[in-house]
Amino acid sequence: MEVLYNTHVKLLAFDFLSLTPIPSDPTSFSRKGTPLSRAETLGIITTRELKSGKFLKFTVDDGTGCIPCILWLNQLNSPYFSRRNPSDVRLISSVSADFASIIKLGLVARVRGRITAYRGTIQLTVSTVIIERDPNIEILHWLECIKLARRFYDVVPSRK
Amino acid sequence: MASSSISSGALVTLQELNSSSPQFRQGASLRVTGKLQDYNVETAIATIVDGSASLKIDTQHLSLNLRVGSFYQFIGELHIQQPNNEGVLKARVGRNVDGIDLNLYNQSLQLLREFQADQINARTS
Repeated sequence: MEVLYNTHVKLLAFDFLSLTPIPSDPTSFSRKGTPLSRAETLGIITTRELKSGKFLKFTVDDGTGCIPCILWLNQLNSPYFSRRNPSDVRLISSVSADFASIIKLGLVARVRGRITAYRGTIQLTVSTVIIERDPNIEILHWLECIKLARRFYDVVPSRK
Repeated sequence: MASSSISSGALVTLQELNSSSPQFRQGASLRVTGKLQDYNVETAIATIVDGSASLKIDTQHLSLNLRVGSFYQFIGELHIQQPNNEGVLKARVGRNVDGIDLNLYNQSLQLLREFQADQINARTS
């Protein structure tokens, strides 16, 4: 189902952690045969490890499991960004630094990013962080994940 | 999970967390929600309630403003104290959840468990 490949699929942690890498494509992960590349999680931040100028690693606990997340903070020093327009790189770096500053233990965060793997462990490489203050937001996220899985993500399209 | 050294706080209601439940284990990582009934500033032990059930929470590691009558959620590890087999949750994180719809929360928790069970069954079949 190609349409799921480019969207941030809302997954509960236990579901996210069961995704399997697709050997032919390091950017793709399989959920029951459907290839995914991006996901969204929502939960409580329970760990936070900052390596200044390099990355912020943190964990999102949504009640069904813990999703390890990595937010890169090294854009200004990274050779990967050296060929890009410097003002774009500064902007990306600034946005990432802002995200890092709002991530605090005990807060509820909605995190979107690319699904990646590091040393065999599946994780989220963060692109967006939103701190949620509504006390009922987690309930909504659980129900959305369940509904989307049952009505959409689990439904395997028939081959033509 | 190889890289994470901490466990996810399993969602439990205070009613379920009695001495005969499988969640009532030494060191179990749990997430609990309830109304703050009392708080001892010296010991940092808070008591939260949900209906007729209650649980003591050790909040010494938290920098959370605790107000009696407000609703809180805590994630931490359960310590079972003898001689009376009493559980105390040593909280790692906590947050104020005033405004939470506890009925909806409990109902959704059941739906979540059903969903997880269905998914796991589907994987193994």
